[in-house]
Amino acid sequence: MTPLQQILTIARLELGRVFFSRRSFWVYLIALFPTVIFLGHAIEAKLRGQRWTNNGRIVKAEAINRLENGMDPEEVLRQLGNPVTDFTRTRRARRDDNPDEKQPETRRYMMYFDGKRRIDLRFEDGKLVERQMRELLNFEDDRRVYGGMFQFFYLRLGVFFGCLGIFINLFRGEMLDRSLHFWFLAPVKREVLLLGKYCAGLAAAGLIFGGGALLSFLAMVLPQDPAEVQAYWQTVGVSHGFWYVAAAVLGCVGYGSVFLAAGLLLRNPIIPAIVMLVWESINGFLPDVMQKLSVLHYLQSICPVPAPLPNNVPPLLKMLLAPAEPAPVPVAVLGLLALTAAVLFAAMQSVRRLEINYGAE
Amino acid sequence: MSEQEIVFDNVSKFYGEVLGVNRVDLRIPPGITSLVGPNGSGKTTLMNLMTGLIHPDAGAIQVRGISPFAPERLMRILGYATQYDAGPRGATGFDFVFTGLLLFGYARGDAERKAWQAIERVGLTGAANRKVAGYSKGMRQRIRLAQSIAHDPEVLILDEPLNGLDPLVRAETIALFRDFAASGRHVILSSHVLQEVDVFSDQVVLIANGMIVAEGQIRSVREEIHEHPSQFLLHCRQASRVASLLFAEDHVSEIKLTPDGQGLLVMTRNREAFSAALEKIALGGLDIDGLVPADENVDALYEYLIGGGR
Repeated sequence: MTPLQQILTIARLELGRVFFSRRSFWVYLIALFPTVIFLGHAIEAKLRGQRWTNNGRIVKAEAINRLENGMDPEEVLRQLGNPVTDFTRTRRARRDDNPDEKQPETRRYMMYFDGKRRIDLRFEDGKLVERQMRELLNFEDDRRVYGGMFQFFYLRLGVFFGCLGIFINLFRGEMLDRSLHFWFLAPVKREVLLLGKYCAGLAAAGLIFGGGALLSFLAMVLPQDPAEVQAYWQTVGVSHGFWYVAAAVLGCVGYGSVFLAAGLLLRNPIIPAIVMLVWESINGFLPDVMQKLSVLHYLQSICPVPAPLPNNVPPLLKMLLAPAEPAPVPVAVLGLLALTAAVLFAAMQSVRRLEINYGAE
Repeated sequence: MSEQEIVFDNVSKFYGEVLGVNRVDLRIPPGITSLVGPNGSGKTTLMNLMTGLIHPDAGAIQVRGISPFAPERLMRILGYATQYDAGPRGATGFDFVFTGLLLFGYARGDAERKAWQAIERVGLTGAANRKVAGYSKGMRQRIRLAQSIAHDPEVLILDEPLNGLDPLVRAETIALFRDFAASGRHVILSSHVLQEVDVFSDQVVLIANGMIVAEGQIRSVREEIHEHPSQFLLHCRQASRVASLLFAEDHVSEIKLTPDGQGLLVMTRNREAFSAALEKIALGGLDIDGLVPADENVDALYEYLIGGGR
């Protein structure tokens, strides 16, 4: 039996345990969370549009375009008919001529729907002062939001903690279950055992998080306007989808190796999780050489859409979220694989010395 | 010869500051060897060292010429039934044995056949498809034994294998050990009850506090008793009087009055002189109702050798 066959046998035997481990069941919830959110968003937009359409309150786009600032509410009602929502709010505002004095100020809000967009009108002192049109499902906005969600939640937290849950248990979990000796008594090199377990963890994590990325991407794209979706597929859509899935899988490759090694060296998984999370967070303002020792650095370079970072984000958080200078995609992929190989090599040295000591757990 | 022996060369193992075993020099020839010692004496440590589950802090180990640092070679010739109860989660008895065989590289058909053979050999065929988690202690012992013999190893190591077995299964298991040993293989097992293993062991290694106290063939270990004080239980009605006469003898080192006042526990360094002294006492008119060697069994030797080890 060649080492490769042994790796595959170990991976096959281990796979079921990794997939159905009670200890890592929450990993599925994390992986599917973005899909649920985007699906929920799409369903909610569709239902809302349907409800407004069924109520017969659709106005024509031309009628909306005819509105002008300064119109009074009655004139608008005459032209467009009854709105979907209409409410008034009164607040005490500072006077322009005397800022020390406050006076009541009444604002009226009306909302119309043209079958695709919601139109929000704001009246102050009985005059139309603002008109905002927003699509219920805005593809461009949603793509930007997805890009942010993918980098800030999915990679930094989802894949990170998911891999922590899966890979750290490959050895540590067996030590806790007092079953690691079963593997150590097999006629395989410890290094081969480690690679077999790593492959099992990678197959599971890759499928869960790669699948999660693909599902959430589809949940974001497919409910959009069919014409826009078709145009997207014909241009960058397939490439975006591929790189999101690739980034998730490569995240599992990188984080998996780190947490597998951590599971061999440390008893408490909280410690490597915190150290790694801090390391990844401060990566943006580390020197260039140090940035290359971060998994996230490479993953962010692979992501097809840069994560939006709004101006109103607090400065400290902005510092932590700001990505490092991206590397070219081939460099990022090779860099990540090299980093993984280095970590796995260190783990192999460690597993050769690993002893069964259940009493200490 | 060392290619056929298990050799410990000045091996020490510490768990932090706690001693596991200390400076163990041991050569174990093929046959049935029992490691005997009280709980915590270092028996399991020796077994784990042999199998590479732990590594020595000093010294070296060779199992039939193979280092425990080469599991890919060692485990092909070695089967180890550990004390650890757990196997793969949710596995049936058959899965437990079968999965282990897959790791040896057997084709599924061969692995299946060998697994059933091993299970049959330990008499668990009827329960093979039940989950190990639902097995009794004795059944778990037997399925671990099945797993350790399934690949037909040259060295079989068993940690307290007779624990929890009923007398019938125990006899069958001992017969299995004898079968293995008869074909020139190593069977190494541990126990904390010497009586349990002395009847079928070819060699015995007495271990206490991490050190080898005595080793060799069971007969030679027994002979050591003659070089050490012997203990006798003496039944007599005038126990105090007999005690005072025996105290006058140089070879008597200790005398204890039994709780009922009708007997004495006497420790002597010379059996012949003790026998002559008793004859003299009896001829002097004091009745000696009975004399029983109190340490004739090997446990007494063990007690003597390990001193306060228990």
